[in-house]
Amino acid sequence: MIALVDCNSFYASCEQVFRPDLQNKPVVVLSNNDGCIIAANAAAKALTEIPMFQPVFKIKKLLDTNNVTYFSSNYTLYSDMSRRVMDTLKIFSPLVEEYSIDESFVDLSLHQNPDLDSVAHEIKNTVHKNTGIPVGVGIAKTKSLSKLANKFAKKMPANNGVYVINSEEKREYLLQNLKVKDIWGVGKKHAIRLEKKDVKTALDFANMPVAWVRKEMTVIGERLWRELNNMPCLEMVALPNAKKGIGTAKSFGVRLTDYGLIEEACSFYVAEVADLLRQQHSAASQIEIALQTNRHSTTDQQYRNKILITLDTPTDSTSKLTKEALKGLKQIFKSGYRYKKVGVNLSQLVSANQIQTNLFYTPHKSESVAITNVMDALNSKFGKNKVKLATVGNREKEWALIREHRSPRFTTQWDELLTIGNKK
Amino acid sequence: MKKIKKSENSYRVERPVQTGFSSPATHYSEPRIDLNAVLTSNASATFYVRVVDDSFEDFNVFENDVLIIDKSLTPKNNQLVVAISDDAFKIIRIEKQQTTQVNIWGVITYIIKSVL
Repeated sequence: MIALVDCNSFYASCEQVFRPDLQNKPVVVLSNNDGCIIAANAAAKALTEIPMFQPVFKIKKLLDTNNVTYFSSNYTLYSDMSRRVMDTLKIFSPLVEEYSIDESFVDLSLHQNPDLDSVAHEIKNTVHKNTGIPVGVGIAKTKSLSKLANKFAKKMPANNGVYVINSEEKREYLLQNLKVKDIWGVGKKHAIRLEKKDVKTALDFANMPVAWVRKEMTVIGERLWRELNNMPCLEMVALPNAKKGIGTAKSFGVRLTDYGLIEEACSFYVAEVADLLRQQHSAASQIEIALQTNRHSTTDQQYRNKILITLDTPTDSTSKLTKEALKGLKQIFKSGYRYKKVGVNLSQLVSANQIQTNLFYTPHKSESVAITNVMDALNSKFGKNKVKLATVGNREKEWALIREHRSPRFTTQWDELLTIGNKK
Repeated sequence: MKKIKKSENSYRVERPVQTGFSSPATHYSEPRIDLNAVLTSNASATFYVRVVDDSFEDFNVFENDVLIIDKSLTPKNNQLVVAISDDAFKIIRIEKQQTTQVNIWGVITYIIKSVL
């Protein structure tokens, strides 16, 4: 059996763990640069007058009059809280597949306790007690069913956040109560087509002839059909495959016109993606730099451009990648525009130990593996960007994302700890 | 270039490195005490909280102390907990006959004081 454990309104819940004054109160979390709402807890979702995904500056008044507390996204905190939840789940099974930052599949095939309802409640209560994060638990024989069970657990208040499919009746009851479009993996297009064929509930779909499903929805649809009929097709995955491309594109805190600042931001992001590249032991053959103004602005002059640079030999060196990136940036930069963001994208990744070197290429000494290793070791010990290339500069404050309402990094920074006392 | 390696906590007997007489302590060496291992037993449930004033002096907790809190524990009689009351964190001592319902956030396991 497989359990799908999913954190309730994860980002908002992370904030609430450290804010006793916000229990049961509406909380929303804003996107990078405080642009719009990206997450809301149940209390905030209940306030239907608050539009999600709207620019925050347009609805600030509405948030204030409804006593909604808003936070800039604090991914440092969310990432650590996620780690805590995942580690807590390992109490219950040696095989936990982290599916996303806030949901995991837990393999229960070795679990001794046959009473899965009590196991589900134990998982839910333990995670909540140890980390403060509320979760829902769905248990079933296949991944797709456990995902649906989890959804169903949350949908019906009577389920108390837990649903276990351990009998044919419970499987049918669940499938009957979920629509085709609720099925994990059924896209909008297929949902519409199925509904036209009078396939309305998930149970209708599971009762279709398999030949029809294969013909109309390919082998992927068939796999889903089998999973819903209790035949496991999706296996537990312990570690994800290496990424085929690594990129980042973040808006500046303010519009930038100065080339020097953009160059520093670009170097910073190259260092970030190069670090991820090395962590998965890959090297990049191509790097793409993109630069753009704010296309939503009606007053700004518009310009956007990007450049794809193919390296003479794949590399994982921050120094080499930065050099190439800045050459590219220089080519696409035009002065006189107010730039909104710069993007860095590494592609055509190969395994770092299979690099075919170019006979005529002698790497500059700053690209040496030893220097990279020492820099990585120092940054991993003393903190991000403690040692960096000079091109990154020291003016992060002048271009970095705006996070005016970010909560402290309670669990990773000694000088931002949660406080207790009457002094405010 | 030689890699700098972090020392690992190992109970394995270390191969003598003395160039003359090998150390008589060879079979007796042990890893040095690691405060993380001693003071925290469940890392994913451990949180640190800083005390910002003397409002909890009754519990011998003063300004700037740091509390180590293990949320996974269930408090026993007489133990200190951080609890939520009136929308704020409080320190409470658990009593045998708890008259009021306590909303426990976590059990205090150690108090770190700087005396510098």
